[in-house]
Amino acid sequence: MGNEAIAFGAMKAGVQIASGYPGTPSTEVMETIASHANKYGIYAEWATNEKVALETAVGAAYSGANTMVTMKQVGLNVASDPLMSLSYIGVKGSLVILVSDDPGPHSSQTEQDTRAFGHFSNIPVLDPSTPQEAYDMTKLAFKLSHEMEIPVILRTTTRVSHGCADVIIEDIEQASRDIEGFVKDPRWTIFPKLTAQRHPWLEELQIRLSDRFSEYFKQNSFNSISKGNSKTGIVASGVSYLYAKEAIKDSSETFSLFKIGTVHPFPEKAALEFLDNITDLIVIEELDPYLEEQLLQLIGKHHLDVNVHGKKNGHFPISGEYNVDVVIDGVNSSLKTINTDVPFLSHSSPAINKDNVPPLPVRPPTLCAGCMHRTVFYAFKKVAGKLKTEKINTIFSGDIGCYTLGNAKPLNMVDTCLCMGAGISIAAGLSHTHHYQEGKKAKQVAFIGDSTFFHSGVAAVISAVYNNADITLAVLDNRTTAMTGHQPHPGIGLTATGVSTKIIDIADILKSCGVDLVETIDVNDLGECIDIAKRAMDFEGPSAVVFKGKCVGITKGDGQYVVDEDKCTRCRICVSQLGCPAIFSPSNKPPAIQDNCTGCGLCAQVCPSDAIVLKEGLQ
Amino acid sequence: MKFDILIAGVGGQGVVLASRLLATAAMDAGLHVTTAETIGMAQREGSVTSHVRIGDEVCGSLIPSGNADLVIGLEPAEAARNIHFLGMNGSIVVNEHAVMPSVNGSVKYDPDQVLEFLKSNCQDIISIDFTQLAKQAGTYRAANVAMLAAAAGANLIPFPPGDMWNVLEKMVPEKYRDVNRRAFDIALERVSGIKNPEQAIDI
Repeated sequence: MGNEAIAFGAMKAGVQIASGYPGTPSTEVMETIASHANKYGIYAEWATNEKVALETAVGAAYSGANTMVTMKQVGLNVASDPLMSLSYIGVKGSLVILVSDDPGPHSSQTEQDTRAFGHFSNIPVLDPSTPQEAYDMTKLAFKLSHEMEIPVILRTTTRVSHGCADVIIEDIEQASRDIEGFVKDPRWTIFPKLTAQRHPWLEELQIRLSDRFSEYFKQNSFNSISKGNSKTGIVASGVSYLYAKEAIKDSSETFSLFKIGTVHPFPEKAALEFLDNITDLIVIEELDPYLEEQLLQLIGKHHLDVNVHGKKNGHFPISGEYNVDVVIDGVNSSLKTINTDVPFLSHSSPAINKDNVPPLPVRPPTLCAGCMHRTVFYAFKKVAGKLKTEKINTIFSGDIGCYTLGNAKPLNMVDTCLCMGAGISIAAGLSHTHHYQEGKKAKQVAFIGDSTFFHSGVAAVISAVYNNADITLAVLDNRTTAMTGHQPHPGIGLTATGVSTKIIDIADILKSCGVDLVETIDVNDLGECIDIAKRAMDFEGPSAVVFKGKCVGITKGDGQYVVDEDKCTRCRICVSQLGCPAIFSPSNKPPAIQDNCTGCGLCAQVCPSDAIVLKEGLQ
Repeated sequence: MKFDILIAGVGGQGVVLASRLLATAAMDAGLHVTTAETIGMAQREGSVTSHVRIGDEVCGSLIPSGNADLVIGLEPAEAARNIHFLGMNGSIVVNEHAVMPSVNGSVKYDPDQVLEFLKSNCQDIISIDFTQLAKQAGTYRAANVAMLAAAAGANLIPFPPGDMWNVLEKMVPEKYRDVNRRAFDIALERVSGIKNPEQAIDI
């Protein structure tokens, strides 16, 4: 996997300290480093959030350590505060920031482009196109960082991070023990005066790096130029380069190809050389038109007579993930406006016409069969239903994690979701508007997972208590960071490398933050969950319930349930209210429970006819 | 050579493991391979695909439409959903066991109709209830392994069954090995009659 290749690249480069926060598609980088930490003498940790992770690595890098931080693209938003200042200060050892972008998006709330963040923060960005390049570029990133005393961003996309491929890696040695240590120096303390001094250096560094990256075209496979026999050129980076290569495979001699791996600072000198004898340029890149803008700027600056074809004139999609077919369409669309005899590219013909396929079921992602979140959501739904009869409206603010999937029907329990930790603050904000809605009554409930609570929930709780927001917080504690593949967090008592550590109790935090009503309950009995949810929602002022349960993704099931067809009245409550993927309802027949049942028993508890029983119980 | 395999299924059916097994077999055969997998939010009981591209050259991991030499569908609807990937002269291995969605929405899903569509549009198709077959072996979860065995046994992938099993033996934890071996063998047995040596793929 590309992420494993990056981890091996980092270990080969001598990483000593690594920190990160899980996030698809970046997670496996830290998991791989952590699983090799003992072997190679590396310190690896999951931090509570990306800002903390970056700052931790910064501290270590100030003392001369080789360090790495890992996160997904939205994690960099959380870490942007230290990042923006860090570019002025720099580092001593080395600091590589792995950030994974998610075109599509497959598993993210934004389609943001980390290349733009590199541009914004004046930090160099490397953009690999294959897992092998990801391995090699990781080593380059450490080298650049150490040599220039700056942080370096290694930016991947889903297809590089989550693609498996054959990768050649080298023998890895033990991490070195010769860190110089922290040397006191005014350079480590940012002040307006220091910033003013460093800013010209930072801008001048961009030019030096741009020149250096131009040099790479002469010697390095990350950046390359191949000349074609037409005046039409193609510029591509990352995985789009491979799509471009495959799209033009039948006319590869026609196009000149500018492949760029060191995307920021943009290598202007090499690009100028490439543009010599080019009249039309097709830019192929996912997400932002970053290269396109760089090239337009360069062409304008030098008054070149080159037409640029890309996202800005509608030839390529501005959003979503690319593939060979998208690239073929984009190139053909560009070629239509170019006065050239370059032939159009052609698609392969599918054997079967998709339009003739019979109707297929829609299969959106949903909470797993037996997920504890379903029971909690259902309990609150019941209480909200009761309140509704008293003309009290309940708003459910969700958060980022598996439980965002509670938005799906029939649960329909996520009214807002914005970013990590936002549910609590949004609920507080909504509660402060209650006074301005005369005659209307409302309740605010915020759902947050255990890992997300530690990530960015605590400050929001303090603010809600401080300002006496009338909210109920439901912590969905399944004792793991489930969505990203079950990483430990501060509430579990294990570190990233499996070492026992102090368990930080969520209920204790809530109490110490001043929440007056804090309850903890194991999610087994639906009736108890409903009672406790009601008590918390009836409470005036901030209240909280910690719902404890297990994640069915990493625990054994508790047997399986089955429908007693004699007792079943076909009321379909189990089907229409729970949305459990283990329950299937054939038309004109009683519901059937499928193999993926994990025995949570929620359906048995909602069945008014006691028709759902444990398999062993039905004789 | 170049060989593209599209694996489609429902989250939890073992699509990712199937693609890792095929990728490892390719590497063991000294070929380049690249995969694209569905990991993260979309995995949770949703439609998932893995692209496996095997060949002499490194290429992007997503198969262009009309390019797959083989579509492995762990579920009928998921095979059909991705059928535009299948190239001319491509083959299909499909699991007849349907995963019925809890909330059917406005669409009425008829697995038999979908299977009939696949069969009438592709001559090279192996259609078996691999879930039932895996249950016979000991666990419904081994349907993915049974399907790889069937593909190898019918010469629909560029690796003979022996090589495919060697990869499984290496990658499947010991406690699950016996049940997987049984599923593998039953599937091999089932396709032994339809094995066509003339269609054997040269590496």
